[in-house]
Amino acid sequence: MARAGQTFSFLLRSSFLWCDVNKLVFIGKRLIQAVFVLLFIVVLNFFLIRAAPGDPAQVMAGEAGAGDEAYVEQLREKFGLDRPLHEQLFRYVGGIITLDMGYSYRQEQPVAKLIFERLPATLLLTGAAFLVSILLGVLLGALAAARVGRWADSLITVVALIFYATPLFWIALMAVLLFSVQLGWLPGFGMETVGAGLHGLAHSLDIVKHLILPSLTLGLFFMAIYARMTRASMLEVVDLDFVKTAKAKGVHPGRIWRVHVLRNAILPVVTLAGIQAGQLVGGAVLTETVFAWPGIGRLMFDALLQRDYNLLLGVFFISSAMVILFNLVTDFFYTLVDPRIELK
Amino acid sequence: MMRYDLMIDFWRRFLRNKGAVLGLGILLIVFLLAALAPLLYSYSPWSMVQRPFLPPFDREGFLFGTDTLGRDIGAGLAFGAQISLLVGVVSTLVALAIGVILGAFAGYYGGLLDHALMRFTEFFQTIPSFALAIVLVAIFQPSTVSVIIAIGVVSWPPVARLVRGEFLSLRSREFVQASVVLGQRNTKIIVSQILPNTLSPVIVMASLMVAQAILLESSLSFLGLGDPNTMSWGYMIGAARSVIRQAWWMSFFPGMAILLTVLSLNLVGEGLNDALNPHLARKGR
Amino acid sequence: MENQPLLKIEELSIKLPTGSDRELAVDRISLTLNKNEILCLVGESGSGKSMCANAIMGLLPQPHVRPVGGLIMFEERNLLQLSDHQLRQLRGSRIGMIFQEPMTALNPLMRIGDQIAEVFSSHGAVSKSRLKTKTVELLSNVGLPEPETIGDSYPFHLSGGQRQRVMIAMALALEPAILIADEPTTALDVTTQAQILSLIKRIQLTRHMGVILITHDFGVVAEISDRVAVMQFGKVVETGTAKEVLNRPNHPYTRQLINSVPRLKPMHRDPPSGKQLLAVDRLDKTYAISRGLFKKGRYVHAVNQVSFEIRRGETLGLVGESGSGKSTVGRCIVRLLKSDAGHIHFNNLDIAGLQGEALRTHRKHMQMVFQDPYASLNPRRKIGQIIAEGPIAHGESERDALARAHELLNLVGLDPTTTERFPHEFSGGQRQRIGIARALALEPELLVADEPVSSLDVSVQAQVLDLLEDIKKRLNLAMLFITHDLRVAAQICDRIAVMKLGEVVEYGATVEVFANPQHAYTRELLAAVPGKNWHIPDTAPTDGE
Repeated sequence: MARAGQTFSFLLRSSFLWCDVNKLVFIGKRLIQAVFVLLFIVVLNFFLIRAAPGDPAQVMAGEAGAGDEAYVEQLREKFGLDRPLHEQLFRYVGGIITLDMGYSYRQEQPVAKLIFERLPATLLLTGAAFLVSILLGVLLGALAAARVGRWADSLITVVALIFYATPLFWIALMAVLLFSVQLGWLPGFGMETVGAGLHGLAHSLDIVKHLILPSLTLGLFFMAIYARMTRASMLEVVDLDFVKTAKAKGVHPGRIWRVHVLRNAILPVVTLAGIQAGQLVGGAVLTETVFAWPGIGRLMFDALLQRDYNLLLGVFFISSAMVILFNLVTDFFYTLVDPRIELK
Repeated sequence: MMRYDLMIDFWRRFLRNKGAVLGLGILLIVFLLAALAPLLYSYSPWSMVQRPFLPPFDREGFLFGTDTLGRDIGAGLAFGAQISLLVGVVSTLVALAIGVILGAFAGYYGGLLDHALMRFTEFFQTIPSFALAIVLVAIFQPSTVSVIIAIGVVSWPPVARLVRGEFLSLRSREFVQASVVLGQRNTKIIVSQILPNTLSPVIVMASLMVAQAILLESSLSFLGLGDPNTMSWGYMIGAARSVIRQAWWMSFFPGMAILLTVLSLNLVGEGLNDALNPHLARKGR
Repeated sequence: MENQPLLKIEELSIKLPTGSDRELAVDRISLTLNKNEILCLVGESGSGKSMCANAIMGLLPQPHVRPVGGLIMFEERNLLQLSDHQLRQLRGSRIGMIFQEPMTALNPLMRIGDQIAEVFSSHGAVSKSRLKTKTVELLSNVGLPEPETIGDSYPFHLSGGQRQRVMIAMALALEPAILIADEPTTALDVTTQAQILSLIKRIQLTRHMGVILITHDFGVVAEISDRVAVMQFGKVVETGTAKEVLNRPNHPYTRQLINSVPRLKPMHRDPPSGKQLLAVDRLDKTYAISRGLFKKGRYVHAVNQVSFEIRRGETLGLVGESGSGKSTVGRCIVRLLKSDAGHIHFNNLDIAGLQGEALRTHRKHMQMVFQDPYASLNPRRKIGQIIAEGPIAHGESERDALARAHELLNLVGLDPTTTERFPHEFSGGQRQRIGIARALALEPELLVADEPVSSLDVSVQAQVLDLLEDIKKRLNLAMLFITHDLRVAAQICDRIAVMKLGEVVEYGATVEVFANPQHAYTRELLAAVPGKNWHIPDTAPTDGE
């Protein structure tokens, strides 16, 4: 009860803290950096299209559209492929800013529409996986650190090591095989039961049921990373001077672990989470492919199969934007936990 | 500068780590498998040599069964080892080449150059590496070379950060400052004072990077982006995906192969870390 | 009549893990702490003094390091036999402890006020309002500014001295009977040190506490202790009142230690007769810290119009506290840093603007000895190579350079056959000698010594200082000696320049400056030296000792 009260007051104080000018400046800087990165990726996309073997218009038309001469001509017109390079670049960048990422000939829809339809599903999956991985990872890592050298530590370390070494798509397949095919406990396909026509709460529960396996699969891989990092970080912090001071004050060991060790050990884990965001989004491609989850990762896979380069690059751009979003979230969280942020 | 007794010391510390020894053993087996593949199997892994869907442990000489087209899975494992090791090692070398050079320049010269290189590295790290690898291989058409280059290109940022960090901290270390005051030339300082002290963390990181590269390569092959002429473990899993209900072994064995290889590399990496940095001994071991 | 000691340690032995350089950290020692006194536990590194303190608090890193014999009696209980729970009840409430490094001793993520409150809440519930009052009271008791609001600050807002005061506040919160202070002022500037020591003394007097103060600095012992216990290699070699031990030491080790303490009264030295070698003229250097593409930088004016000169055969001391800019001046002179303005005339050549090859060849005229004996030698090179590196870089053949290395090792008092060994095989003092040998290999005319003895034990310090003095005379070197320790400056410097916040505030012959300090800051520095009123007895070893 007291702990709940403490957590609440922490959050309350944090929101006041956040109005601190230093923190706002910090986040502001990050936003500006984000814009630069996105610009960089757009330019990268531009040059990638031109680097591919063959005519850029044909590349953009994709395998299916390249056969249609009229369509290819249209593209040439639209992107001014006979104009000087920098003009083409401006047109392209301008297009992206207005969210015009081109047209998918194969799927006969604008790329932007395809992506934004499926984006929420990916956000749901990656968000759930992120939560699972961080919460489980920190918990297990902290447990291993607190019981260092004993069997709980060895067990957790070995399990983490194994998950860290296993290819994500293989875990996914084995999970489907075990829990869906053999045991029949959980669905291993899609986001909702096909043709069930559910609404409201029942619908949400159905989605959650379908979410369990894919998010756990995606999450377990990263859980291993966070568990290892948390364990290592806590073992480092426990040797630091201020922990000795806390002991000399007669503080209860449980409190020492929670308040002194864990809170300080968490900082590098938060930083790591930001860095891992890119891997998480990449992992979504594999997970969605195996579980037929209707997100942008699956879309990317389809685009690959169909050699639909426009769509491919569009998904690439949006997934980078997602990573930036994740980074902003972790940065924001970091400013909450570390009061020294102005010195960084 | 190689001292005989230093090497013995290193080995003794390394061998004390049971996990590392296990990892080294597994790695040796994988390497032998890859090297001896053409001797063990007189036929190519693409040849159809038995009836399809042969379960494992069923017939002499086909320990791991066959796949949907009757190809020997055992042969696939052996030749797949070649690709995994090849791509893993070469792409890591590519990433190291890029990362070490960028990191060294940024760390040693500092200032504006460091600032610019670090911003560039940050940009690169924000791009989801797997997605970029997919895009690169797709655009340049899948082949062993494009896969190696793609993996190398997305894997260099952590190396650059590590090397930059090491150079920065070493540059202000007193013994390096002493060399400057003595009048040693810049290149001599980098080569004889800084680099040898940077070597250990880079070696450790390299072994972990080979592990990551193998995971990346198998993921790309799983999605169909591997070299179409090479039988790789990831491809085997991808090809068997649709029949996983009936034929679990077609996905299981290649997956285990990947797991064991990557695990052993991670174990060896940690063993190297303990052996090369004895004064930073990890707790709880 | 109350003559019961507050704390009694009897035949305590503490075992070290296998593989350490000795079996017992502490070997059957006995100590008593009486009520209302300050007991100083003195010894060099490795003497086991910190181990004792940790044993009293039950903070030994068990199971590797653990007590294997003896008892520690406090309030009629043997502390060594108490359970974890019982010990925890004592810690912070009956016995308080403060540590050496104020910069890392506080949780960086918790507010000061909360960390103090934690002491109270760990030993029983106190209401919120009482907590706040008590905290403010404590903070003002230890002399912190704005005690009402400083509790809301985080540690990184406070200076080292302020953080140490917070530590003291936390240790005293529940009015313990004993305070253990483990090297509480070693990491502080000398003026801050004086303040903290007087704070501890005042608190001890007003609360009639027993204080165990652990230190390696005899000046601190002279300043503050009532009784002294001297430790060496895990044994107590001498105990007694401060008066006795400081003025009439018995044990040869105590005598040796006291003999090694530099006297604060400088000896008369002949005025420099050599020609001018180095003339620094209005040197200026500003550092930019935290500069970025998107924000305005913060600057530190580290060296501000500094001027002085050094003649051949003379030692000039550059004295100041941290942040005074003395190290920066040293680094500008050997061109590890490029100064922003001013001239550095060496033999009438202005080296401040030298570049490239001209700079490189000039370097052999001035060399540097660094502070940290552990970081100043490349751990992966043999010491023969390390010493030979300088001459080789300037064209000498490897064979000749290595031969010189042999000679130099002799010169600095080391065994010349050890050229094939690595730095980690030597002690701190020996490594410092290797550093000196390396600096001398190029036959420089000027030696810049940046705090060369600050990281060494006091007896080793004396030897290295003697070595430097000897070499200077023999080779007729000029030396720029950078230090924060006024005693060392008094012993070895012909003239000194006192620096504060980048400026030279006083400059003159050492004897003069010490006897008649002109600037207020110099007076402050001299007044802050611990044990300045202690007349160090002559305990030089007589023949036969």
